[in-house]
Amino acid sequence: MSMVMAVMRKLLKNLDWVLLLATVILVIVGILLVYSATHMKGDDPWAFVKARLFHLTLGVLAMAFIILIDYHALARQWVLLYVGNLLALLIVLVIGRETQGAQRWISLGFLGTIQPSEFAKVSLIVTLATHLSARRGPYRRLRELVPFLLHAGVPMILIIQQPDLGTALVYLAILFGMLYAAGAEPRPILGVAGVGLALSPVLWHFLKDYQRARLLAFLDPLKDPLGAGYAIIQSKIAIGSGQIFGKGYLHGTQTMLQFVPEHHTDFIFTVVGEELGFVGAVVVLFVFLVWLWRGLAISMEARDTLGMLIAVGVTSMMAFHVFVNVGMTIGLMPITGIPLPFLSHGGSALVTALTATGLLLNVWMRRKKIWF
Amino acid sequence: MSIDPQRRLTILRMAILLLFLVLVGRLWQLQVLRGEEFLRLSEENRIRSYPVTAPRGLIYDRQGKPLLSNRPSFTVSVLPMEVQSSQEFALLGRLLGMDPSEIAGKVQAAIRYRPFEPVRIARDVSLEVVTKIEERRLELPGILIQAEPVRHYLYGKLAAHVLGYLGEISEEELKVRKGQGYSMGDLIGKTGIERMYDRLLRGTNGRLQVEVDAMGRPLRVLGSTPPTPGNSLVLSLDVNLQRAAEEALGDRKGAIVAMDPKSGEILALVSHPAFDPNLFAVGISAQEWKRIMTDPGLPLLNRAVDMTYEPGSVFKIVTALAAVDAGVATERTTINCPGFLRLGKWVFKDWKAHGRVNFIEGVAQSCNVMFWILGRQVGPERLAEYARRLGMGRPTGIDLPSEAKGLIPDPAWKEQEKGELWYPGETLNMAIGQGYVQVSPLQVARAISAIANGGFLPRPHLLRSVLAPDGSVLERVPHGPFESVPVRPRSLQVLREGMIAVVTRGTGRSAAVSGLSIAGKTGSAENPLGEPHAWFGGFAPAEDPQLVVVVLVEFGRRGGVAAAPIARQIFAAYFSEVGRRPGASYAGGSPPGIAGEAPKNAREKNWVGSEILLQGRRER
Repeated sequence: MSMVMAVMRKLLKNLDWVLLLATVILVIVGILLVYSATHMKGDDPWAFVKARLFHLTLGVLAMAFIILIDYHALARQWVLLYVGNLLALLIVLVIGRETQGAQRWISLGFLGTIQPSEFAKVSLIVTLATHLSARRGPYRRLRELVPFLLHAGVPMILIIQQPDLGTALVYLAILFGMLYAAGAEPRPILGVAGVGLALSPVLWHFLKDYQRARLLAFLDPLKDPLGAGYAIIQSKIAIGSGQIFGKGYLHGTQTMLQFVPEHHTDFIFTVVGEELGFVGAVVVLFVFLVWLWRGLAISMEARDTLGMLIAVGVTSMMAFHVFVNVGMTIGLMPITGIPLPFLSHGGSALVTALTATGLLLNVWMRRKKIWF
Repeated sequence: MSIDPQRRLTILRMAILLLFLVLVGRLWQLQVLRGEEFLRLSEENRIRSYPVTAPRGLIYDRQGKPLLSNRPSFTVSVLPMEVQSSQEFALLGRLLGMDPSEIAGKVQAAIRYRPFEPVRIARDVSLEVVTKIEERRLELPGILIQAEPVRHYLYGKLAAHVLGYLGEISEEELKVRKGQGYSMGDLIGKTGIERMYDRLLRGTNGRLQVEVDAMGRPLRVLGSTPPTPGNSLVLSLDVNLQRAAEEALGDRKGAIVAMDPKSGEILALVSHPAFDPNLFAVGISAQEWKRIMTDPGLPLLNRAVDMTYEPGSVFKIVTALAAVDAGVATERTTINCPGFLRLGKWVFKDWKAHGRVNFIEGVAQSCNVMFWILGRQVGPERLAEYARRLGMGRPTGIDLPSEAKGLIPDPAWKEQEKGELWYPGETLNMAIGQGYVQVSPLQVARAISAIANGGFLPRPHLLRSVLAPDGSVLERVPHGPFESVPVRPRSLQVLREGMIAVVTRGTGRSAAVSGLSIAGKTGSAENPLGEPHAWFGGFAPAEDPQLVVVVLVEFGRRGGVAAAPIARQIFAAYFSEVGRRPGASYAGGSPPGIAGEAPKNAREKNWVGSEILLQGRRER
């Protein structure tokens, strides 16, 4: 017992309080927003908040668990992490539950459903960091990147099969962020991107109709104002109408009127924009910026390449989520259905975000050589 | 050149900062520069989106005659978030002739779940009232008038229990059907075919996006997703026979089942008294509902399927079959009937002293003494076993909801349920279909089908095929599954001889139709509620059975007097139709061509289903 206590003391002394504070603020704001977005739904205005608190408990447990295991020990289990991850994604394809044309969830009976592609991101970060630090850069040629492309590509293909294009793009963001930090020269990275672009007409062919419609609607929302363009227009109206100070908490009409679809999940930022205005939106974005800033600070001070890469992977993932999600609500990005970390309703996403935070804290706490 | 991670991380930081600035800049543009414009847009968000009710699929009889149609009607709805004051409810109530608090209640109930979906207040509103509402538009901004298709049952009460009726979906039904496209205020099948195949019939609602003015009046349609009409159903029912059966039963309370013993297709299914499903088509009023629910005749009850009765002497077909098949009796067995049977200190009285009778005459005259003697020798367990083999005391599997199970008792059942021993007298009761035995008319029809067709139980069914909205056949429903009855063919033949004797010279003479060989059995079931129920169950032609008819007249006293003549009328009606002479096979009958559509060859081929099945059975 006393040893555990000693560990705990050290942990507390070495926590990144700024990162933790940013996380706590985002979690609280998330609960407030989910309440605002859902209290008009159904019988129990607190139903979504209750679910949120349950997910939060799971997430905090996952975070604590991740903190306690030295990330080096975690990296040593890369085979288990990688293979387990692939199996989970395969299970989704075989027995997963289909909603709205996509198969992303596995049912866990009364516990609800989980979305393995969310957890897969964390697994990718740890295993890819292990892989990259075992096969050091710099990487000057495209050929040298192939092992890593395969590493990320296999789970990506499984996720595209679901189909979940948004999450597959998150994989790309993680991959490129980590490759760059690990020392890939810009030229081979651009080469990969070029090949990707060249293949995009092929990819277009594999997209589902609704995905194509979303992309077209992004390019020209007014062309189909009531179809796929509807969400984009209504989302912009919601955020824009918030003006500088917003309509006040719980007083958004656009989001409450359910003009904005999925406003408690993917479009949660419309509630921020409409009810809290420009000021509130910027404050929320600022907290995200602090979080990401700390993420990169942790990567800079990491004890070794493995820690640095894990931190970069986590930061790339979160940054991509924030930009694509917020960008989508304000018409800068196409609708891809990826959640806003900590704020969107969704259990797997919250647990993943907290686990990712745990990874950063893990790397930060073990930055000093004297640790153990 | 070595890599410098610190430099690269700094570049990443700058990239993130830059992207944040882009987001903030865009927010500045939307919220500060164009904020007022968007605020105005949000305040008068002129785009409304309403559901458009899909027309339900139609239902045809086997000849392709429609049993119902959809007619247009007006529905008045309230948009909960648009209602400004309670005066609107008051005015609307006055125009519709409704209590304003009832309207407010409906709106209140819906507002929690879907505050932006219209709430239906009144269906099938007259054009006159609609005009009045339109005139007062300015005072009623939150009112929406929509055209909706409404069910019209062309034959009124005819086959009402088969078709069923519609009603607004209840909260429990909504819960069970979550995620299946149902929403509050939808009409859903509550009984009968309408319920059984609701998901096939209902189609998918569309949506209409309209731009409205400040008063909520639609200015122009911006876009629409058209509703997909439901699929139509072709039933095995024959409207002509159904009508003949209903007329034959007349005002009497009771039930009739007419089915094809080879395929299990139901040709007529009557329960009287009936209800008019048109009353329910637009949501029944509370008064009307109360009147129907308190009607002592129980018009909603499907007596043919959902109700069970003591079978009385009709059950003797089971006793007779068991006795012959178990080797207790042959057609040459004779007994002496003094008009009573002594069992210990009790005396069981027959309805008449038959004297010396052989087996066939015993069946023909429904001699209780003979069946008591045979029943005792067979024993209650074996009696129950044969009844169950014939499908009694369990659901038949018909495609209607809420089918009754009935009961076939035996000593083990009695000990378990009542905690009492089985008395020998109860075996006697059971042998003549009295006591605890409970069967539905449909179960009797199915059992007689097996006797008629040589020993296989068909699954009674109503659905023949499903048609897409364009009239093409989506699915043909195969007959069966069939369940073979483990009895010797010889036993069935002896039983059929007895049943023929019933109609030619026995208790069922009044079922006879000249030129047609009919086999049957009458029954008069003593029951605790009043006069005996009158039963007749039979089939024709005896040598090549095409039609099984079971008639039950509640409190009709004598089966031979009250039920058999009704069966006679049904047999006569059926076999007098062109092309249905006895001996001519009906199995290949006409395809269910829908008016105006030429039957295709492939279709005709497919419709000789029952013949194919019969061949398959012979090979077994």
